[in-house]
Amino acid sequence: MSMRAAQAIVAKDLRTEVRSRSAVSTVLPFAATMLLAFGFALGPDRLLLAQTAPALLWLAALFASVELCHRSYQHEAANDALEGLLLSPVDKGAVYLGKAAAAFVQLIVLMVVTTGIVIVLFGLPVGPAPALLLLTAVLGVAGLSTLGSLLGLLAVRSRTRQAALPVLILPLVSPVIIAATKATADLTRGTTAGVSGWLSLLVAFDAAYLAVGYIVFGHLLED
Amino acid sequence: MTAAQPAAVRLSRVTRLFDGLAAVSSVSLEIARGEVVWLRGWNGSGKTTLLRLIATAISPTFGGGTVLGFDLQTERSAIRARCDLLSHQTRLYEDLTAAENLRFACSLYDIDPRLAEPALGRVGLEELAGVRVGKFSQGMRQRLTLARCLMRAPALVLLDEPYAALDVDARSVVDELLSTARASGQTVVVASHEAPPAHLVDREVTMDGGRVMTPAGVAPS
Repeated sequence: MSMRAAQAIVAKDLRTEVRSRSAVSTVLPFAATMLLAFGFALGPDRLLLAQTAPALLWLAALFASVELCHRSYQHEAANDALEGLLLSPVDKGAVYLGKAAAAFVQLIVLMVVTTGIVIVLFGLPVGPAPALLLLTAVLGVAGLSTLGSLLGLLAVRSRTRQAALPVLILPLVSPVIIAATKATADLTRGTTAGVSGWLSLLVAFDAAYLAVGYIVFGHLLED
Repeated sequence: MTAAQPAAVRLSRVTRLFDGLAAVSSVSLEIARGEVVWLRGWNGSGKTTLLRLIATAISPTFGGGTVLGFDLQTERSAIRARCDLLSHQTRLYEDLTAAENLRFACSLYDIDPRLAEPALGRVGLEELAGVRVGKFSQGMRQRLTLARCLMRAPALVLLDEPYAALDVDARSVVDELLSTARASGQTVVVASHEAPPAHLVDREVTMDGGRVMTPAGVAPS
């Protein structure tokens, strides 16, 4: 029953996103505009652009995840659907897994598009190990979606709502952003020597966020 | 009601504070299985808070009790599986269709999704099964929440101001829900400021200032 509920939440969140197009209409333009603004601010120096591109890519992913998780819980807050989840007899950990998985899928799609923008605008090379680059993206996005899905719930229940999410997420997600940026920078420069350390760090934080989220989500949802 | 079955609701000196103010104050209440109880009171009398306490949406600050034999504090999941709270907050998703909303509820409550269609028919929404809830009027949304309740057929139904925002046709759906529940042995608690339809209700309990004003024991059969 728990897995069925988690799957239903994934399907519901993705269906809601496809119909409301909130990511396409707001999150994606926001990320693209941010990258363009930084591109213009840094000037035409191709080397500087390529050097800063990994950090800007993950910064765009971070801001996109904040907005995406905020919107996801806004849909739950409307008509107090969140209380419907609370009053259902399903394991609340399964609800969290469903929310995190849906956020993961949406962020991966956003990441594909923003990476394309960064490659074109900043001349970021894919490097000799595209599989490792893909793994970095998957692990980094997993960290953003697992933490964002937990803190999004906290934010929607706080009085300050939208302002609360960045304040909560930015300090806690820093290790993921740093590790993902370093791994991306190394891989795009053609260096694979130190990458395994950064990827291990990403795996550790992803696992920690997921475990904490699974355990804590139900307590946060309760009165 | 059989002697072996515990009361549907048994509350003992339940108090709920919000920011230090008591919305419900030292309420003791017993409702028998299969009883239809009308909880009557003005706005702010504590009716909604009491329903939310019974539904385990909120916890009591003091006191305790059982719902359908399960402890209010420690067996919430068991209560939630057997209880439905219908309020003006519809808990529907605007971007999902009426049928999708019901099927989603089926997934959460482990119900056969094929029950969604007949439930929509019972509240007169079968023609609108594929329409998104965002396009529904408040009355249609209320009907859809009734369909969700009919589909689940919970042992305890809690209705908070069920006639609000409903036209005459939809009010008859609520009356039908009450009579169906009564016939099938479901326990129903209705919170309303209106006078009860006497033929559908077993007992009236009055609330004022967060307290139960009329005798709150089980009505003599």
